Amino acid sequence: MIGAITVAMTLMAFMHTPFKRQEVTVLQFSHRVGNKPLQLFDEVYTNRFNEPFTVTKFRYYISPISITNAEHRKIILPHRYYLINEADSSSKRIELPYKGTIEAITLLLGVDSLQNVNGVHSGSLDPVNGMYWTWNSGYVFAKLEGQSDSSHAPAHGFTWDVGGFRKKENALRLIQLELPPSAANTITIKADLLAWFDAVHPLRITQSPICHQPGALATQLADNYSAMFSIAP
Amino acid sequence: MSIRTTITIIIFVLSGLAWVTVANKPTPISFKVPAGWPQPLYDFKKNPLTKEGFELGRKLFYDEKLSKDSSVSCASCHQQFGGFATYDHNLSHGFNNTLTTRNAPALQNLAWQKEFMWDGGVTHLDLQPLAPLTAVNEMGETLENVLKKLNRDTAYKRMFKAAFGTNIITTEKMTKAISQFVLMLVSSDSKYDKVKRGAASFLPNEKMGEAVFEQKCMHCHPPPLFTDNSYRNTGLLVDTTLNDMGRMRITRNSLDSLKFKVPSLRNVAITAPYGHDGRFFSLQNVYENYRNKMQVSATTDSLLQHKIPLTNIETSQLTSFLRTLTDTSFLKNPAYAPPGYEITPFFIRYN
Repeated sequence: MIGAITVAMTLMAFMHTPFKRQEVTVLQFSHRVGNKPLQLFDEVYTNRFNEPFTVTKFRYYISPISITNAEHRKIILPHRYYLINEADSSSKRIELPYKGTIEAITLLLGVDSLQNVNGVHSGSLDPVNGMYWTWNSGYVFAKLEGQSDSSHAPAHGFTWDVGGFRKKENALRLIQLELPPSAANTITIKADLLAWFDAVHPLRITQSPICHQPGALATQLADNYSAMFSIAP
Repeated sequence: MSIRTTITIIIFVLSGLAWVTVANKPTPISFKVPAGWPQPLYDFKKNPLTKEGFELGRKLFYDEKLSKDSSVSCASCHQQFGGFATYDHNLSHGFNNTLTTRNAPALQNLAWQKEFMWDGGVTHLDLQPLAPLTAVNEMGETLENVLKKLNRDTAYKRMFKAAFGTNIITTEKMTKAISQFVLMLVSSDSKYDKVKRGAASFLPNEKMGEAVFEQKCMHCHPPPLFTDNSYRNTGLLVDTTLNDMGRMRITRNSLDSLKFKVPSLRNVAITAPYGHDGRFFSLQNVYENYRNKMQVSATTDSLLQHKIPLTNIETSQLTSFLRTLTDTSFLKNPAYAPPGYEITPFFIRYN
């Protein structure tokens, strides 16, 4: 009997031997509004059009596509979707299965068309995360919601829910970020919410407080917010 | 301890494990494609049908708990005796005295459909339940709450474990189970089907009705599915209280204005009212629209530019033919009734 127990325990010990941890680089997302850190609900910010606003929700889907290493070689990363959610600090930290100097990183902002139409997915893509349009199948790629005295929408809300995967309405954006030479373990990616209002197209809360479907406004918002990222020094 | 004892223990443990594995395997169901029908469009590889998955889907389909105040289930608007459409309601009724803007479509032969809803806005069968579950004028619940309710229910935990090998209930597992139930709603045994199989014959009026049908209706409603799954503008005036622009709401293309999906005509005789907003209460109302009342404009379907001329005799022959599409073995199939019943019992609430 003692023999059997010994065998079992040896087996269990073997099973619990931690495998060598894969070397990783951490991407840490830091959300800001101009030069202020993003604070949900309480803080009142002002955009370039002097419109005051608060933020109640800020979420977006991101998928690291590839990195360029010190030898200028592109390394394709395993395709995974992350839902970055300001309200959930753990979601703002993702691990890439790579360690070493990174020259550039390519990110997909949104969810590719296939995932939009081939059924119900789990994990970060689970529709329970509130990033899915049920009546017109498709993911909401990014959400910026809040309130503004400049908004004439009910309850002075402004809700910018952006998505769209069909031709002419494609809100999917590829983002390429160059990195300063360093082999740091953690890369901090800054996202400045002010880009949503004016990076490419001037979009005022007064004029368009609501975006709830794919189309012209959604693609303009996508153009704008795809410019919100930069690498923190 | 002897080697013999050790081996005995190992065999005992392994056989126990094997038994557990066998006991947990769900029983597969094979999906039968009726003779002469096209291949289904649903990808069964991603959601293999099993007896356990089907039974779970059936329980979910009939469960009012899925709605915000436990008042309506999928079956409230999709009644078996009404061909899984709603008997008598023009517009579907939601929870808490709400009303939707459309007529509940009949559910049948869904494995052959690629897009769902009158405007085709839903692009996959598994995605379909998400819309009525969360719409404020239908079941009015959040997915988060639906999953909470299910995860608190030990009977559901057991059934999910049996069907999918895990009792962690997710949106994906729930919607796949519902798909398994509704995919099995195949209607292919009407008198029409029996005639085509050589197992029955049409009465003279039905036969003449078939000729009228082939000449005037079949282009958009081709057998065996009796729909071409296209979207068409049939000259219906916009109801100014609903302002339903149909397919254009999805594509935002003005060419799709007032286009709605061509419904299947299987079980049509018992699925009144008709039309996307249920404005026609009888087949006679529908004929009257096509031969007279419809408003032809530049965007009306090219096949309807001259309306559809139909004599009174032809309409009665057409009705005789369309009645042969009623599939009583489908409408009374005990496998589709609420769990534990042979037919839908009278006390099931339809509000």
